[in-house]
Amino acid sequence: MPEAMIKASNLGFAIGKKIILQGLDFSIQKNDFVFIFGQNGAGKSTLLKILAGIIPARCGEVLVEGKNVAHLSKRELAGKLSFLPQSDDFCLPILVKDVLLSGRYPYQSLFKDFSSRDYEIYKEGVECFALKDLVQRNIQTLSGGERKKVLLATAFIQDVPIILLDEPMNFLDPASSFQMIRMLEGLHRRGKTILLVSHLIEYFFPYANKILALKSGKQHYFGAKVFSPELFKEIYNVSFKHIFLENKEIIYANE
Amino acid sequence: MPMNKKIWGLAILVFSILIVSPFLGIVHIDLPTIFQNNSSSFIFWQLRVPRALLGFIAGAILALSGLVCQNLFKNNLATPDLLGISSGAAAGAVVALKFNLYISFLGMGGLYFFSFLGALSAVVFIFFIAKVIKNSSLYTFLMSGVAINFFYSALIVFFQYTFNYTDTFSLLRWLMGGVSVSGYKEIYFLLALLLIFLGVILFFKKEFLLVSAGEEFAQSRGLDVVHFRIFAFLALSFFVGTVVSICGPIGFVALVVPHVARSWGGSKYTRTVYFTLLLGGGLLVLADILARTLIPPVEIPVGIVTSLFGAPFFLMLLIAQLKKTD
Repeated sequence: MPEAMIKASNLGFAIGKKIILQGLDFSIQKNDFVFIFGQNGAGKSTLLKILAGIIPARCGEVLVEGKNVAHLSKRELAGKLSFLPQSDDFCLPILVKDVLLSGRYPYQSLFKDFSSRDYEIYKEGVECFALKDLVQRNIQTLSGGERKKVLLATAFIQDVPIILLDEPMNFLDPASSFQMIRMLEGLHRRGKTILLVSHLIEYFFPYANKILALKSGKQHYFGAKVFSPELFKEIYNVSFKHIFLENKEIIYANE
Repeated sequence: MPMNKKIWGLAILVFSILIVSPFLGIVHIDLPTIFQNNSSSFIFWQLRVPRALLGFIAGAILALSGLVCQNLFKNNLATPDLLGISSGAAAGAVVALKFNLYISFLGMGGLYFFSFLGALSAVVFIFFIAKVIKNSSLYTFLMSGVAINFFYSALIVFFQYTFNYTDTFSLLRWLMGGVSVSGYKEIYFLLALLLIFLGVILFFKKEFLLVSAGEEFAQSRGLDVVHFRIFAFLALSFFVGTVVSICGPIGFVALVVPHVARSWGGSKYTRTVYFTLLLGGGLLVLADILARTLIPPVEIPVGIVTSLFGAPFFLMLLIAQLKKTD
């Protein structure tokens, strides 16, 4: 078996005495598309932040491409994975171009400016995500959908094997949502490993090959995708239905 | 490019203000007299010209410190004066004066070292508060700024009360903020600092942009936010502290200028930096001209002028921002 892209062992986290995550054990292979779900407060966002090295684990460890996250510098880690946080509120004006180029930050050093290679991949990102008309704009003036697109493009430009996304489709209309999914699909096809936290089961479930179900901070299920209404009922305490629609398997909440 | 023309236009305007400024004031000075050897030329070359230059440099440093502070706190209401960093610097200087503390550093008298410590203490306090209540919203920062301002004001008044009569007056005058100097010693020193500050701000463009985009965003792009913040706040405290130790706490330049510069700069970082520098310098020189000529023969402290105009501006900004977050 090849080396895991991400391997968590006995992972736990707590704020004060309140346990947020406990005893998580999973290993994610190259080009996996992992859908992470669970009730509000189940610890999904916290898990992503720990995997991304934003907050340190309280116990256990995370290995990214075989290296312990706690021992990697921020820059080294950013050369391996890209994390898109849930909130994307930019409080100060920033040029979209600068946001996109920040994806190349991991490859800079103190006295080195962006290289032609950096600009090449930046241009590729602008092209792929159809951002040509936006690059000279202030990111604050963009719509929610455009902003999410820019952030995903930043992850593309960062050019790392692993992408972690926290609710990438909050507040998006259906058209933008499908656009977003097409882009994620594209990244997946390029061989990226994707971990995604969301409540939008109908949208993302079809694309995942693995699922991680969290319940009250514990790993309820991890493994190959199963269309199991029972599993979803255990997680959300709501009935789910599993249907086939136009040759697509769909699972959706049905109280 | 029209934007670059704008910068050059502003530069020329500010330069003209700088040229005109030394001729204006209580004592009228004519162009021919400045090249003669008389009291007018002394006033011109030893008082007025350094004063205009000090106004420009101090205004530029204060405005840039506002810009940096806003980026570090990701909020355009977060400036050294509102967060209490300036009053921390002032308190540091007052304590040093009271106890005759003196450290000579880089050829300059030691007050500014204590201003630096005072400014730093305010920064440390802000982060301590934000950490304890685990909240780093605008509200937290402004409220802790209010607390810090009260505390240091009380400290300043207390020491002022224990000073003798003449010292109290000169202290009071300094606390109102002013740019009067004689000679060029401070000018050379501050000019060097301004250039260093500008260099730091341009050199760390990528880092400042990343922190202004948010902590998580910056970290997941590989920036060690904690270390960069420590470095940036040390620098900020030093530059603010130095200006305060020489000019006293001059309010609102750091708030108003970056705000206008941002809208002119079209969210382009480097342009915004240059606009901030020019506008900050020009505005303080202009405010000083007003201070000298508004009600002759009285010279109003320039800090009072900037606050008189700056406070309503701040209120407008605050209202606009609170409306937005509602």
